[in-house]
Amino acid sequence: MKELSLILQFVQQILPAIWITLLISVISIGIGTIFGFLLAWGKMSRLKSVRWLTSIYVSVIRATPAIIMIFIVYYGLPFLFKGWFHLNIEGWQRMYFVIIALTLLFSAPVAEIMRSAYLAVPKGQQEAGLLVGMTKFQVFYRILLPQAFVIALPNFANSVINLLKEGALTFTIGVVDMVAKAQMIVSNNSGGFAFETYGALALIYWVISLAIDKFVSSAEKAYRRKRQTIDGSREAV
Amino acid sequence: MLTISHLKKRFGQRTILEDIDLTVHQGDVITLIGPSGSGKTTFLRIITTLEQADGGHIQFAGIDKDFADLTKRDIQTIRRNVGFVFQNYNLFNNKTVLQNVTEGLIVAQKRSKAAAKAIAVSALAKVGLADFQDYYPSQLSGGQAQRVGIARAIALNPKVIFFDEPTSALDPELVTDVLQVMRQLAAEGMTMVVITHQMSFARDVSNQVIFMADGHVIEKGQPSQLFTTPKVSRTKQFLAEILATV
Repeated sequence: MKELSLILQFVQQILPAIWITLLISVISIGIGTIFGFLLAWGKMSRLKSVRWLTSIYVSVIRATPAIIMIFIVYYGLPFLFKGWFHLNIEGWQRMYFVIIALTLLFSAPVAEIMRSAYLAVPKGQQEAGLLVGMTKFQVFYRILLPQAFVIALPNFANSVINLLKEGALTFTIGVVDMVAKAQMIVSNNSGGFAFETYGALALIYWVISLAIDKFVSSAEKAYRRKRQTIDGSREAV
Repeated sequence: MLTISHLKKRFGQRTILEDIDLTVHQGDVITLIGPSGSGKTTFLRIITTLEQADGGHIQFAGIDKDFADLTKRDIQTIRRNVGFVFQNYNLFNNKTVLQNVTEGLIVAQKRSKAAAKAIAVSALAKVGLADFQDYYPSQLSGGQAQRVGIARAIALNPKVIFFDEPTSALDPELVTDVLQVMRQLAAEGMTMVVITHQMSFARDVSNQVIFMADGHVIEKGQPSQLFTTPKVSRTKQFLAEILATV
């Protein structure tokens, strides 16, 4: 019982840092999704060179562990910027580096998810759309995309949760997120209550992940319910 | 109204269509018959610009050009003047029955929602599905789905509707409903080009039957002539085979 109240106490102490974690995640997810969309497009390009380049990008990024990506961006980017653009970006907030790293990491699986979801939509509908006079873009936007979106949703949610967890490595380059906060608490207590502190941290992550899961599955259900609003007693003739 | 001449199509080395001509007049019901792989579907897909030809000429909706010279605008003109009924229906799965029909009216023909709905409702009534407006395609039987496909095509008021084996994917007991709708359309004077294996439909409804095999038109004529006294032995053989299996 004492443990539990301690954990709750640590949750209270860690929680203010949740904004850093959420901010980093939301921005990375936002930009990463757009980036992933473009990559998915590139992977289905008619140009072989574009397909080739995007495929290489995606497989390299997918094979890079999150912590290495964060280090590469943090140590490598200033170096590149100095060499190429003669810009000194070492003074940038560290959070920017984390966001760039997570955006890159997020874009690769999202590209794959979007591509396979798009391919899963029966393409006869595209021809039907063209032959009722719609343009290719109208067919894509009105017919194919909404269906691909629903197909992609569960996998997309998985990727979001993964990103959230990879984001826990943010502290490694000195951004004070929830993990860093927890570490501080432990060292302030001279190494004491480590279990309770990290337990509290785990609890927070667990709740966020659960919330994302619930949100997505209820979105899916709402979509499916929309299809069942019709009186089921009327049998198909 | 629609004239295709010297149409050619190759896939790699293989010739799919060789020198095909077709003339469709207002009110014609033309059936295309022939063994599978004879190029019938490809033929319709080229006319409707879903596939590119390797040669040939099209005269339709104010266009008078070789296929190779069709511009994007020509292609759009052709698409907006034809209806197409697919073998696999190809209904928009994320849209209701009503929306399937109104989609082209609103998005492509720029009609108001109310006007589109009125047209769609009468088109759906015509195919006997007035009560199914709010259903989604996944809730329909094959026969119903195909009738929605037909309603979607007629609502656009096209100059000609192409049917690509509209009953081939259906269970036998559902074929009748769809054919009934097509007969009614023909009776109302709709111009139709139909690929079918339903010989009774070809015989009773069409005013011209075209028999195709191996990418060639083998024989064409009025159904009364072609079904009773075919001139070419290949036609005779095909008819004997297909009528034996019915």
